[in-house]
Amino acid sequence: MEFLSYFGEVFTPISMLLLIGGTVGGLILGATPGLSPTMAVALLIPFTFHLQPVHGLILLGAAYTSTVAGGAVSAILLKIPGAPANIATTLDGHAMAVRGQGARALQLAFLSSLVGGVFGVLLLIFLTPLLAQWALAFGPSHLFWLAILGVTVIGSLDSDSVVKGLLSGSIGMWLATIGYDDMQGVQRFIFHDALGGGVNIIAALIGLFAIPQVLTMFAKGWQDYGVESIEVQRHPLSAAVHEVFSRTRALTIGTLSGSIIGLIPGVGGQIAGLVAYDQAKKFSPEKDKFGTGHSEGVIAAESANNAMVGPSLVPLLTLSIPGSPTAAVLLGGLLIHGIFPGTDLFDNHPEVAWPFINSMLIGQILMCAFGIYIASFAARIAQVPQSIMAAAVLGLAVFGSYSVQQSMGDVYVMMALGTMMYFLERFGYSAAPLVLGLILGPIAESNFIQGSLIATAGNGQFQYFFSGALNLLLIAVVVVSIGYSAMMEIRNRRVAA
Amino acid sequence: MRKLIIGLAAVVLGMAGVAMAGNYPDRPIMLMVSYGAGGATDFQARIVTMTAGNEDALGMPIAIINKPGAGGRVGWNWFAKDAEADGYTLGAYNIPHFIAQSIKGGVQYDRDSFEPIANWGADPAVFIVGKNSPFNSMADVVAYAKENPGKLTFSGAGLFVGHHIAALQIEKAAGVKMQYVPTKGGGAAAMKAVIAGDVMGGVNNLSDAYRAREAGNVKILGVADVKRNEEFLPNVPTMVEQGLDVDDSSVNFRGIMVPKGTPPEVIGRLAATVPEMFKNKRVAGKMSAGGSPMHIMTRDEVLQMWKEREEYLGQLLQGL
Amino acid sequence: MTRVQHIVPSAIVTFVALWVCLISYTQQPSEPFLFPRLISTLFLALSLWTFGKAVLGLSKVGSGVSLAMMRNLAPGLIVSAIYVFWAAKTLGFYAASTVAFLTLLTIYDPSPHGSVNTWVRRIVITAVYIAVMYGLFAFVLKVYTPRGMFI
Repeated sequence: MEFLSYFGEVFTPISMLLLIGGTVGGLILGATPGLSPTMAVALLIPFTFHLQPVHGLILLGAAYTSTVAGGAVSAILLKIPGAPANIATTLDGHAMAVRGQGARALQLAFLSSLVGGVFGVLLLIFLTPLLAQWALAFGPSHLFWLAILGVTVIGSLDSDSVVKGLLSGSIGMWLATIGYDDMQGVQRFIFHDALGGGVNIIAALIGLFAIPQVLTMFAKGWQDYGVESIEVQRHPLSAAVHEVFSRTRALTIGTLSGSIIGLIPGVGGQIAGLVAYDQAKKFSPEKDKFGTGHSEGVIAAESANNAMVGPSLVPLLTLSIPGSPTAAVLLGGLLIHGIFPGTDLFDNHPEVAWPFINSMLIGQILMCAFGIYIASFAARIAQVPQSIMAAAVLGLAVFGSYSVQQSMGDVYVMMALGTMMYFLERFGYSAAPLVLGLILGPIAESNFIQGSLIATAGNGQFQYFFSGALNLLLIAVVVVSIGYSAMMEIRNRRVAA
Repeated sequence: MRKLIIGLAAVVLGMAGVAMAGNYPDRPIMLMVSYGAGGATDFQARIVTMTAGNEDALGMPIAIINKPGAGGRVGWNWFAKDAEADGYTLGAYNIPHFIAQSIKGGVQYDRDSFEPIANWGADPAVFIVGKNSPFNSMADVVAYAKENPGKLTFSGAGLFVGHHIAALQIEKAAGVKMQYVPTKGGGAAAMKAVIAGDVMGGVNNLSDAYRAREAGNVKILGVADVKRNEEFLPNVPTMVEQGLDVDDSSVNFRGIMVPKGTPPEVIGRLAATVPEMFKNKRVAGKMSAGGSPMHIMTRDEVLQMWKEREEYLGQLLQGL
Repeated sequence: MTRVQHIVPSAIVTFVALWVCLISYTQQPSEPFLFPRLISTLFLALSLWTFGKAVLGLSKVGSGVSLAMMRNLAPGLIVSAIYVFWAAKTLGFYAASTVAFLTLLTIYDPSPHGSVNTWVRRIVITAVYIAVMYGLFAFVLKVYTPRGMFI
């Protein structure tokens, strides 16, 4: 309970000012297409040069939590996920916004972010030493099986056909191999200069989700301007609170899987939302409603991606190993003040470490309050005429994909992938499995190669990849997941026939 | 609106015209870092450029742009090929990385593609093992590797980067074969592999290893440099002290460069100002707080160093 | 959606898969292509399955394309392509975006093109949009966009 005594530091005027500034700024940066939480936090680092360590970290902590949630705003309103964490939010959130229920979607997103986020930070406060061991338990072979497990999830994710889902996933995994091979430095599948740097994940996300939506609006043509007829429903907050807590299953699945997956270094943050979404769908009696604007989808995805925030800092704070790119940036923020994270961080620098963590707790609440405040205005986006919407989203996609690393190549890749995705979607392929493939491909590949190298020096490949409790457990889950998908495919066929 | 835009365009073009004539720099400068945000190079680049906007420095802020991928190849390819040689696009270099990669081939740059400005830091590679490892000196490591050829696994941040060069040198000096495991995601991932026990040892940056040791997670067995690091690791012996003929070729030199073709007066202005900017007291304070060794070198010294490294690396990498 | 509409795209995907497979199995050095071989084999197997289903008329998913839809889409797609692949870099980001935004708005706006009010409205909307983009990307985020011939 030591952390309680450091709340005082968070409630000083300057801290509160930074906390509010960091939260609001983080939400705006997070909602900007192309600006991932990592970049947003990196942008704020120079400000902390001039602040005291504790104030600098309060700013960074608040910004980190709110950028992740801010990504939900553009995911829901514009169907542009700000970061891989928000992919799953677009699936149901945007469907709600189109129906004029943007306020409801945003309220649900921010409330479940709050629940997940607070749970994650509490885990960080109380279970850090235990969790650190868990984070270290994942070696190359386990990460490889985890990636394979993700691949098996692909089939059932947002696709009416398991085979087409898997096919979309394999297209994604192939796209991820374009560019330099990270281990050997050999060029693969580079047919055009724009592909020299490979397919940037953020640019690809923007293209794969935003462009099909723009083209769909174009395809409706100029006769179809009945958008003004969409009624933007005011959605009372109390109803949203009630809805979030009545969807206990989705909320629990999201929060727990987000916290567990968030811990795993190098993997967690990107896939937590998608995995939680998929699990919530599998356990839900209303599977068919997922993807059409179902509240469980938004709740599971958003509680998961904020639940991941706290645990993702465990390896950083205890072992000084940043488990995600954002954690790496935060490490920089600690180092410039001469604070070395490690097992004794809380003994040596409690006056910095605890206010930092506490600020993430308070930050969650501020973020939720501010997010809900803007929700009712933001929802009016559904009434914006499609001609304006299409042109505006296209422009945002171009600026956003360019600003990721100031590269025209990324913009070309974004547009090309997006146009391709539009046509693929018309024929039953879908973007979410493709993106998951794009994320998981490199994880599977690099861990497979590392594992093989270690195995060759040790007892051989089979021994390395197929022994040990964690390996066997993961393999068992993979088998169950494949079995489940096959069963669904057979059932679908029966229903169709 | 159109008129307004044309008018605005005219004003901007007019200003650009003035800018060409002199007055460099008159707008913010961009510094390309070919590693991700949060990596050691990125972190240090942000610190050493933080005073660029001061009047006694460049008078204009420097913004960091990350172009990570394939051990730096993606960023440096872009820098050699697409970056404008106007003095507003700077790049961070890592030696021996980019020279080793250009010798290995498959990239669009070599030593002649870039013009160095100044060096800010030198981060030697060190050999680390987990805190519970039976190895307590390089001699233990070499003895184990001699008995079990190819069985000793050790991690590093990729192929043809400083860590890999150190690994090759250690293997060559000891006359042993070990299993080098390159990781993806820089030094942090390689460090995690050592702490978690995925591998038996590893090569890592002195700054990161120092922090990991402070946190009680690793033991540092040797420094791959010509002399000990008195500031951070005064009691860790060098490789040479332990009988391994390993020099400072793997030391990760970090500094600023511009693309070939940048006007000589711009290079002159930068080469005169940037080393002074690095000497700023606040910069030195922040660098030392983070455990990052500084090593300031002028343009001429860097040119010489690049040349020496290229000659040596050409020999080391021959036949690989 | 007709059977042909299922066959043509799955044939294209299969063709891509074949080609990726071919590259993966023939490129040297072969080591970095180990993983691509694995994926491309999976890719090819799945695409052949899909193709087979399409030929047999078993494919059900997807809504396909229609001539009317393509006719609506074409002008927007062409303007977008010119904007992204040519104008953005050649003219400069903000100039190209202004032109592209106004053009797309004009094409897809149902209001009568003859009315002055319509045009005033379109130009004001474009100006506001570009101002917001400029404020966000150039001012707040300090992104240095390609300048091209204009800004």
